[in-house]
Parts: sequence; structure tokens; C-alpha cells
Amino acid sequence: MGYAAFETGTATVAPALAIKILIAGGFGVGKTTMVGTISEIRPLHTEELLSDRGIGVDDTSGVESKVTTTVALDFGRITIREGLWLYLFGTPGQDRFWFMWDELALGALGAVVLADTRRLQDCFPAVDYFEQREIPFVVGVNCFDGARRYEPGKVRRALGLGEHIPVVLCDVRDRRSVRDVLTTLVTYAVKGA
Amino acid sequence: MTGEDPGPLIRLYGLTGGRARPQGESFDLVAIVVTAGDPAEPADLIPEHRAVLALCRRPTPVADVAAHLRLPLNITRVILGDLRRDGLVRIERPRPMAQAIDERIYREVLDGLRSL
Ligand SMILES: Nc1nc2c(ncn2[C@@H]2O[C@H](COP(=O)(O)OP(=O)(O)OP(=O)(O)O)[C@@H](O)[C@H]2O)c(=O)[nH]1
Ligand SMILES: [Mg+2]
Repeated sequence: MGYAAFETGTATVAPALAIKILIAGGFGVGKTTMVGTISEIRPLHTEELLSDRGIGVDDTSGVESKVTTTVALDFGRITIREGLWLYLFGTPGQDRFWFMWDELALGALGAVVLADTRRLQDCFPAVDYFEQREIPFVVGVNCFDGARRYEPGKVRRALGLGEHIPVVLCDVRDRRSVRDVLTTLVTYAVKGA
Repeated sequence: MTGEDPGPLIRLYGLTGGRARPQGESFDLVAIVVTAGDPAEPADLIPEHRAVLALCRRPTPVADVAAHLRLPLNITRVILGDLRRDGLVRIERPRPMAQAIDERIYREVLDGLRSL
């Protein structure tokens, strides 16, 4: 979340606000696809270079390999108007990058946790993460071809989610569907409903 | 950038001196960056710094600066931290979200999403 009214030189620039939304969920659940479906910018995928600090792996391979440790991060943008943007960040899947989640989550409006009904348990860590930090989230059940359709209510019960947390069926390849998930999240995060 | 090609990595590390963390107070990936005051920039600025100062005459989120520079987010943040240290850019400090999204902005966001 970013908000600021700045003065540059003598001219006052209009307030600018960037709203951060996280897209989380298990490996291969459709996070990158979701960001790509709705984003207006291309450089979606960045390889983030990591320092030797905070990783705690690759210790055997020495300093040089640490310098080139990267984590893939996806991000996309939706411009609402000049000075008002939504940024979507796909969270890294591997567990060893949890420390990046903390950074991503700080100041976020909320999160979409994507779930695949064929392996629902994969989204437990993300659900736990956002519940513990009281970050508003909605669950998007990505309807892969061939997967059985579940009632959102069943998914909610299987995940042990409270009644208030929205669970929506979606197709992350479909723009309207992604848009509806984001609308649900924004409303839930701002209005609590 | 690919994992195999060491060229870009070495160049990126030239930009940051190998640092993965920005100088000074931490700032968000979507914090708004603005070029500070008069464009009396030092003559010896590297191209990336010059590009940031030109771009951020308009308030620009950190992530967008990265997209424009085609650089990873954390490299971009190191660059921005250096520019802030030198007084060339200002980076907004985090604010509680509840203050930031008022009814009008909420409506704008919803309308914007619905028109996609
Ligand atoms: N049929 C179908 N395929 C999908 C759908 N969503 C994603 N896929 C495919 O599933 C694969 C994984 O999708 P990604 O978007 O890369 O998933 P991800 O969550 O980013 O994966 P990781 O970053 O590796 O964890 C890709 O080949 C997608 O094309 C969907 O709704 N239906
Ligand atoms: Mg991905």
C-alpha cells in the first residue's frame, strides 16, 4: 500500500495510491496465469536476486552461488486512473521463501488464495499465513478442466474457514472471472463483506 | 534475465555493489517515489539513476520503476535507496491502509475493475 501527496519543486502533485494485492496458493495452482490474465503490463516475471542473508540454504556451495540465488516473482498492474493503481504480486511457491512473503504481505490490502479441489491441502499454508496475520483474503477455487466441481460451501468446510470469508469459483484464464475475484476481495477487505 | 548467463548478474551487482537491501528506512514494493525538488542532478549519474529521476517526476510506485528499468525489484530498491540517501528522490513512508482507501477511492477501484 502506498499513499502520498508530494510537492515537487513548487508544483503540488496529485495524491498517488498504489494498492497491493497478493495472489497465493500451492504449486502450479494458477497464480502466474491469474496475474497474466488481468495485468496490463508485460514484464510480469522477475528473477529476484537474493542476498546470502535470510535464506539459510545453499550453504554448502559457497558465497558465489549465494550471490546468484534467485526467486521468481510475478507482478502485474491494473491502472484505475492516473495516480491510482492495483498491483498484483504472485507469492513464491517454495517454502524457503517465506521470508519474502512477510515483505510482500506488509501493507497489502489483502490476498487471493487460489485452491485446486484435486489437492485442496496445498493451500493450507497460505490460508494459515493470512489468518494468523489477520490479512483479509478470499479463496478462489480455480476450476481446472476435469476437476470435479465443488460447492463453495464444501470447500469452505474442508478448509475450516469462517462463514464470513468469501469462497468463489473462478477460471484464472478468464478476465471477467479474475476481475470478479478481485472485486470480491476489494469489497471484503474494505467493507468486511 | 536468465539464471545461466552471468553477464547481467555481474552488471546488476555493479549497480548495487552486491547489496540486496536498500539503504536507510525500509519501503514497500509499491511505495510512491517522487523526484526531489529541482532537477539539478549531479553530472556523473549513471543511466539507471538518470532514468529513475526522469520517470519519477510523476509519482511512481517502486514496482513500476522496476518495470521501466527492466530490473528486478530488489535491485531497483537498492538503487532507489541510494538516490534517497543522496536527496534526489523522496519515497513515501508506509501509512495505515484504513486511512488511504476512503469511500471515493473504493468506488473508483470497483468501477475501474468492473469496466475491465
Ligand atoms: N485447464 C486449466 N489449466 C490451468 C488453469 N489455470 C492454470 N492452468 C495451467 O496450469 C499450469 C500452472 O499454472 P501457473 O499459473 O503457472 O501456476 P502457478 O501457481 O503460477 O505455479 P507455480 O508458480 O509454479 O507455483 C499452467 O500450465 C497453466 O496453463 C485453469 O484454470 N484451467
Ligand atoms: Mg507461477
